[in-house]
Amino acid sequence: MRVAIIGASFAGVAAALEVRKKFKQAEIILLEKQSKLGYIPNGLHLYLDKKIASLEEASFITEEQLQQQRIQIHLSSEVERVDVAQKQVSYQSPAGEDTLVYDKLIIATGSSQLSQKISGCDTTRVLKYKRFHEAEDALEKLNNSQQVTIIGGGQIGVEAADLLQKNGKQVTLIENMDYVLFKYFDKEMIEPLQAEMEKSGVTLHLNQTVSSVEETDETVVAHLLNESIVSDTAILAVNVRPDLRFLGDQIKLHTDHTIVVDRYLRTSEKDVFAVGDCIQLQFGVDKDTFYIPLINNAIRTGMVAAANLVEPILPFKGSLRTIGTSAFDYYIASTGMTEEESLFYTHPVSAVRQKIKLSSLPTAETATVKFIYDKESRVLLGAQLLSKANILDKINTLALAIQTNQTLEDLMQKDFFFHPVYTNLIETTNLVTWPDVRWGAYED
Amino acid sequence: MKIENFLEKHEIREITIFQKLVLSGGQVGYTEMVDHLDISKASLDKDLEAITFRFQSISSNVRIDYDGHMISLFMGHEFSLEQIYQHYLRQSIKVSIISYLYEHQEFTITQLAQKLTVSESSLFRKIKELNSYLKEFQIKIRNGRLQGEELQIRYFYYQFYWYIADKSALASRKNDDQVERMTQAMENFLQATLDPESKQRIGVWFHISKNRVNSRSKVYKTLHQQMEPYHEDPMYHKVRTMVLRFFSRYSIEVDEEEGMMHFIFLLAFPILSENDFHEYTLLRGRRTPTAALDTYIVETIIIQYNLRKLPYMLEREMYYFLSQIHTRMYFFKGDIEIYDYDAILAKEKKFTGKDLLSFAKQLRDISIGKLSIEETAGDTLLKMELLKYVSLLAIVTFQTATILQIGIDLKMESIYTKALNQLLVMNMQHINGTHIEKYNPKKDYDLILTNVPKGQKDHYGKAKVYVLSEILSPFDQKNIQEIIQNM
Repeated sequence: MRVAIIGASFAGVAAALEVRKKFKQAEIILLEKQSKLGYIPNGLHLYLDKKIASLEEASFITEEQLQQQRIQIHLSSEVERVDVAQKQVSYQSPAGEDTLVYDKLIIATGSSQLSQKISGCDTTRVLKYKRFHEAEDALEKLNNSQQVTIIGGGQIGVEAADLLQKNGKQVTLIENMDYVLFKYFDKEMIEPLQAEMEKSGVTLHLNQTVSSVEETDETVVAHLLNESIVSDTAILAVNVRPDLRFLGDQIKLHTDHTIVVDRYLRTSEKDVFAVGDCIQLQFGVDKDTFYIPLINNAIRTGMVAAANLVEPILPFKGSLRTIGTSAFDYYIASTGMTEEESLFYTHPVSAVRQKIKLSSLPTAETATVKFIYDKESRVLLGAQLLSKANILDKINTLALAIQTNQTLEDLMQKDFFFHPVYTNLIETTNLVTWPDVRWGAYED
Repeated sequence: MKIENFLEKHEIREITIFQKLVLSGGQVGYTEMVDHLDISKASLDKDLEAITFRFQSISSNVRIDYDGHMISLFMGHEFSLEQIYQHYLRQSIKVSIISYLYEHQEFTITQLAQKLTVSESSLFRKIKELNSYLKEFQIKIRNGRLQGEELQIRYFYYQFYWYIADKSALASRKNDDQVERMTQAMENFLQATLDPESKQRIGVWFHISKNRVNSRSKVYKTLHQQMEPYHEDPMYHKVRTMVLRFFSRYSIEVDEEEGMMHFIFLLAFPILSENDFHEYTLLRGRRTPTAALDTYIVETIIIQYNLRKLPYMLEREMYYFLSQIHTRMYFFKGDIEIYDYDAILAKEKKFTGKDLLSFAKQLRDISIGKLSIEETAGDTLLKMELLKYVSLLAIVTFQTATILQIGIDLKMESIYTKALNQLLVMNMQHINGTHIEKYNPKKDYDLILTNVPKGQKDHYGKAKVYVLSEILSPFDQKNIQEIIQNM
């Protein structure tokens, strides 16, 4: 069996490794457009955060590791056409045009930051750095910039604002909603971070949309409705999107141009699978599917597609859009539905917040936890965390609670270890009803 | 444009046959029909044959019979003229062209000619005809696409699917669950209660929006200028947030203008309840072109009607309807004439007894001036909005009308008096805004009808007196009606 995988980022590599594990004899060929393998997207942030000494270190896999697994990798190979009837992939490699015949095909081409609405955003002073070569270029330009405008207040935008500001840059951030990180957090939960952001000198333009970007000799100008922002460089931190033009109209797509897949990640064409940032995923409890481009989803879908190559045995469980990061001295994490987003949900939803000490010591830090749950069944639907201490891992417990349909009452008596140095009377993610332990308002 | 613009000449004639039959109690003589249609006997025979063929499959519900002398209509109790119209529209080539364009967004002449099984030349002709009607919407079919401002395209499609094409087909073709959830979300975001018809309207609008959201090269030039005064509107903010949040869950880079178009739709059509709209008026800016005009027109009506105290609920109602009229006038061009303009005018006049048209025209002209609307020939929208002003004035007339008190004071033998009093009361009861009864000396009246010449009776106070020449004569009745209208 010859398995061709288009794209060697997280989804493609995870799929390749899983195929090898399941099918010892399979011939596995990875086709990657980039010249470098295994770069961690936005590795630039790790560098700016001084976690790595050079961009080269931002790597999650090497060619050697793949070769050890008998996985062939073709770098600088851009797929131009797929012929699903002939089971053939045509691609352009450094050696010229080439064709590959497959038995099974996995599409894992990922996504990139691109905007068709912001005219002029493809100029050289507007930086994108998801790929290695983009990051190298961005780093050089950022080093020579004093003023940086960030377009988009999502996870990338907020992290970038924090790091650039710490690196002495003058940062302006533009977000089209009325607060940052709106996809993952409710307004009141992110309020402390946003306040800290402004306190540290970041200029925020909320409820504003960039209509166009203009480049001059020395500067870049972002045009908003009633004003224009001039800076040395700008960072395009808008939502990512897949580019699947090479498929033509051979495979069924959604209205948003992602590939339609079933629970086993099979596309409309036999023996063709799609994973990672190319597809929509089931979100939470509703049957609805959404576009949730996260690395964790890329890896999990890559593994599931590999498991279903020969026969459909493992349905994909869906995504809770779980994220965790730190910025402006706060650790923040989110999973599942937000309260604001619950307006799209068909059932009535309630929310409760608790501010809780993280240990039994007098110097204990606190964490704010928000639970979003179905009003009738009291099943947990979403959770958000914010703290000055690193509580990021705790979001995974809450994600599992949602995935396994736990109710608020289940959360109240979730088993936990007690140790005065590490826990309060009750563990952070257990719902607490005692006013002394819980700080702040309890809303139920 | 008119609904019949989607039909061919012979189809319109066939519908006229149905209309004539409905208006004549279901039966019309053959010769009378020939005269009515002003066609040859051979043509009428052909039309009747065509009708029989067209309604073959549903002949148990509707059919036309002809026995050599009389043409008669059979129509089931649950069938109406409206459905007959729909039957014709469903088979219309022009409707099919628009539906195809909606679904595929782009077409080639060969492709479409094959699909509709018509010749390319005849397809060209139909498109040319359609373009002449679409002109008032400021859109046109060109190079296999519908071109024009995006808001105008969506507005046209909305009117088309609401009034012309089968909207249930639209719903079943698409993912209905998603539209239902979006409607629910709209209710949640606006904290409003939508009735089933509003939900259906929003459903059609969302289908169209979903269909158009990804289309290439959308034009928003006019929309930007028009929306400028509305950027701070609280409802616009809510709608914008909802739209951005909704699309943030898909791999769609949504246009800023998407929220603007939803906002306009909500205000231009009866979506919000009168109560929810009132809540919104308490928060909205007073200086937007439409809000300022609403106030100006309400004040103009108050002055014209000399209303010292406007009933509170009536004022709310006036704002509710005026806001829809003005939003449509400000943002949209063109309309589909779905009601017969003259027939509605005639009906309003019959009930109010007043000619409201001239004042309505005055109001519309004020609005055209205040909103700086460039009048274009054949814009049905301005004509239809005029009709709405008339209707609004009729509502105001009804609700503020003072009831004229009329007393009948006949002097003759009591047996005659009693009988004639009854007859007069019955005969004049239909005149709106009047209360008529036998004269009671203890009460005040606005008008006294008597058969005793003036001068012989002077205790009627301030009441106007009319002396009947011949009780129940058409002459007297006409005069009395005129007096009432002028009072």
